[in-house]
Order: sequence, then C-alpha cells, then structure tokens
Amino acid sequence: MRAALTTSAVMHAVLIGFGLFSLSAPRAFEVADIEALPVDIIPVESITQIQEGDKKAPLAEKPAPLPTERPEIVPDAVKVGENSLDTEAKPTPEPKPRPVEAAALPEPSPRPEPKPAEEPKPEPVVEPTPPIVPATEVKPEPEPRQKVEPDPVKETIAAVESEAEAVALPEEAPAPAARPQPARAQTAKAPDRKETETPKKQAAKPKSDEKQFDADEVAALLNKEKASGGGAKRSSEQAALGGDKATTGETLSQSEMDALRGQVQRCWNIPAGAADAGDLRVSVKFRLDRSGALEGSPEIIAGGGTAGVERAAAEAARRAVSRCSPYTLPAEKYEAWADVIVNFDPSEMF
Amino acid sequence: MRRGGHGPPAIFRDLSMENIPLAEPGVQLSVWALFLQAGWVVKLVMIGLLLASIWTWAIVIDKLVAYARMRQSLNRFEQVFWSGQSLEDLYATLADRKTSGMGSIFVAAMREWKKSFEKGAKSPLGLQTRIDKAMDLALTREMERLEGKLGFLATIGSAAPFIGLFGTVVGIMTSFQAIAGSKSTNLAVVAPGIAEALLATAIGLLAAIPAVIAYNKLSSDAGKIAVRMEGFADEFSAILSRQIDEKVLPKAA
Repeated sequence: MRAALTTSAVMHAVLIGFGLFSLSAPRAFEVADIEALPVDIIPVESITQIQEGDKKAPLAEKPAPLPTERPEIVPDAVKVGENSLDTEAKPTPEPKPRPVEAAALPEPSPRPEPKPAEEPKPEPVVEPTPPIVPATEVKPEPEPRQKVEPDPVKETIAAVESEAEAVALPEEAPAPAARPQPARAQTAKAPDRKETETPKKQAAKPKSDEKQFDADEVAALLNKEKASGGGAKRSSEQAALGGDKATTGETLSQSEMDALRGQVQRCWNIPAGAADAGDLRVSVKFRLDRSGALEGSPEIIAGGGTAGVERAAAEAARRAVSRCSPYTLPAEKYEAWADVIVNFDPSEMF
Repeated sequence: MRRGGHGPPAIFRDLSMENIPLAEPGVQLSVWALFLQAGWVVKLVMIGLLLASIWTWAIVIDKLVAYARMRQSLNRFEQVFWSGQSLEDLYATLADRKTSGMGSIFVAAMREWKKSFEKGAKSPLGLQTRIDKAMDLALTREMERLEGKLGFLATIGSAAPFIGLFGTVVGIMTSFQAIAGSKSTNLAVVAPGIAEALLATAIGLLAAIPAVIAYNKLSSDAGKIAVRMEGFADEFSAILSRQIDEKVLPKAA
C-alpha cells in the first residue's frame, strides 16, 4: 500500500508539474480593434419636415425665404413677408408690396355719430339694387323697403365712407373678382327684414357697418390697394430652397387616430347587406378646419361604384363623415389632421 | 477575491474602453495563477480533491498489483494441486508458510481435517460441516482483503463531482460579488473569476472519472477471483467428502 501511495503521489506531482509548464494560459483571442459606433434612433419626422424657404432658390445648408427689404420689426410675427401685419396669405407677386391698410384688419367701427333719426333724406343709391339681388331669394315686397329708406345710420356711414374713399374712387374701377356674390345676397335679405320690424331702434344705436351697408356701396368700401399678402416676419438671410411654410412633422399618435376612427364609426350606418357583399372598401378624403369642423364636402377617392350596393356604401361613408363633424382632435397638431383620409371597410365591422 | 499578490490586475485599469487589453497572458491565467487567485474555500476544495485523487490512484495501483499477484498465486496453486501430489505433502509445505487465496482455503480445510482425525471423528456429517465452515471463513477473509478500500473508489467516483461543483459555485459566487463591487460587467472582468471557479469542477471530474472506471473494473476483477476461489472450495469440499466417506465407513463397518 505504501508503495502504491508513493507511486500515486509521484505520478500526480509529475502530472501537475508537467501541466504547470505546458498548460499555460491559452493564447488570447485575436481581437481587431473595432471602433464603437454609437447608434441613435431618431424619429424620421424631424428629418422629413419641410422648412420655410424659397421654392426657386438653390439648395443650401439651411432653407431660407427670400430676403425682405422692409426693415421694421413686427413683434411675434410668424410668416415671412414684407407685410406689416402677419397674415397667412401668400405674398402676391407684385414688385413693390405696400402696406395693407384695410384688407387684413377691419377698420375700427365708424365713430358713432348719433344723428337725429328724423332727418329724412332721399336715397338715390337704393334704386339699382333690385336687379342685382338674386332671383331665388325670398324677397320681401318692395313696399316695406320704401319705408326703410330714410335710414339715418346708413346715411351717415355712406357719407363717411364716401368721404374717405373719395380720392380713390375715380382712379380704379372696383375689381369685379373681389365682389363676393353670396355676401351681397345676404346683406340684401337679412337687414331688410329687421329694419321693417324695428326701424326706430336701429336708428337710435350705431351699428357696425356690415349690417347696413348697401350693395352698391361695396365698391366704395372695397380697398383699392391690392393686398400684398405675406407675413410680417423679416428675413435677412440668403434665399435657399425650402417650402412655403414650415411643417411641424407631427403625426397623430395611435390613440388619437383611434379616437378619430371611433368618432367616425359612431355615425356610420353600414349599408344593409354590405357584410356579405365582399369588398366594399370606400376611402373618403375630407378637409377639416382648425375647429375640427368639416371644410368642403367629403370626396370619395377610392371604392364606391356607380350603382347598387357600392354606391350605397360610398354614400353611407360620406354621410358618416358629414354627420360626425366637428371632430375633437388635438389642436396643436392641426397640420397632421387638416387633410384626413378615412377607409371604410364593412367587412371589418362584423 | 484576488489574492495573487501581483497588484491590481491590468484589466481593472480602464473599464470604459470597449476592448480591454487583458493582462499579459500566461502570467495571470495559467492554471497555477488561477489556483493562487482562488479564495480559500475554493483552494481547500481543490487541495482536498487533489488528495482524494492521489489516494484513489494509490488504491488503484495497489489493487491492480494485488489482483495480478492473486491471479498468479491461484494459477500456481492450481498447477501444484492438480499435479497429483499428495495432499498431506502439500499441506506440510504450505502449513508454516504465509498463504493467500486458494492456499489459505486449502490450509484451513486441511487443518480442520487433521484436527478432527487426531481426536477421532465420530460423525462424518459433522466433520463435513466443520470443514465447509472453515473454508467459508477463509474465503471470506480472502475476499475482504481483496475488496477492501474499493468502497473509497465508489465514494470518490460519486462525490468528487459534487465537491468540485461546490467549489465552482462558491468561486462564482465570490466572483459575482467582486463584479458587483467593481461596477463593471465587462466579460474581461468576469472571465478570470469564472475560469478559476471552473477549475474546481475540472479537478473534481479529474478525480472522479478514474475512480469510477477503476471501481467498476476492480470490483468485477474481484468478483472473478471470488468465483474462482469458491469453485475451488466446492471442488475441494467434494474431494474431502469422498475421503471422509472412504475413511469413516470402513471404520464403522
């Protein structure tokens, strides 16, 4: 036993000794020096959004609109332009834009000059009106109109306006394009009825001129200067390629989309029989204004045939969009939901 | 964790870099360095396993030698026994010698035989039983000598992996504690501690595998020898039984 133990111990010692010398650490792996590459994940919206600039200018590092010439600084202006008022309208291509006086801001209401209501005055201006008023209007008989004619307020306004525009009138004929046809019809109808009812009261208090102005005086009221348009923000940089306006690149979140979908769905009456009629997909495109109300009429851009159940489906979709207006959507993301396309698919409802 | 006495390893110098240059290979990560780096529990486990391995191999060598000798002596005895030599003569030569295996069984049986006849055997049945008992006893003693310490091999074979695993678990535990302290999870920081812990399992397996193989081989060898000796004992018992019948019956008649 002793011999065996000695043999074993010697054997172990030899093995360990051999291992210590031959079994050194394995060679380290060859590792190439690789630079760490930091990767950031950024939303693509911030890249794809359009920045304000000039559409015809060459591409530059930073988009910038045409430099403006007027030096004065308008506080809080958003839109670039030569205007002194910050409007959303595009600048008109006139060579020399001039400050707008009347188009953007309504003139302050006329100084209230309460004149004695009893002062009767023949009104020559009223005569040409009847032919212009649309025939479809529910028109009162000319009888009450005659009674109203001696309207002191109208008189005063007319006087004031004509005084103010006296110089401008002969120079240029009123631009026919600028005459809003429906507006005239309204003015012709609404005030007339009122005046027939309570002429005394109206005369006593000075009203805003919109209510009472005569159709023919529109020409006088019109601003003869063409609105220059554009904003009031001044730009001093070199013009560079860019869009008309800066888009925010914001998109509706999934939950906001779902909310919109829910609002539309509530008003959607699925046409009978659409469930088993196969592919009745309808895409409706519509525009919303800032309050979320429908602007214009919804347009069918896909689906909806000319007859039968397809047409019914298209009409149902269009009705749904119209009925649910206005929609509640996040106001700060208006850019994202100004134009909406909704797909109606009856097969997903069952 | 690190008690190697080589100062702070180079891998702890710059943890912020992506590819840390490992400490000079061959110095820090050799088997001996791993052993030196280990904590005292792991060291104890490793040393214990090493001693167990030494003892295992000692037993294996001892048994292999012993079995070889035993087989040799069995062969020699059988040759002599079946050579036609008188049993009395054979007993005379073997009686005062140190015998093993079949020799000791033969001597035990013959001694009982002689004693019985010196005092005058009364019953042949009783004599037969006594001789069988004596041979059984001699056989058991021989087998005990042959199979002794084989149990240790079995124990090492089954327990050494667990002991090694224990060392590994303790080593990895300490290693993780050290990682938590160093506030870096870089693989270069983690690796040496784990390698050193795994060394414990390696030593455990190194001790266990030969032990298991040797145990199986040695126990089957011992079984073969035992069968051979039992066969001889039965044979010799039959011879003696015949002799008793021949000697006792004429006396009675």
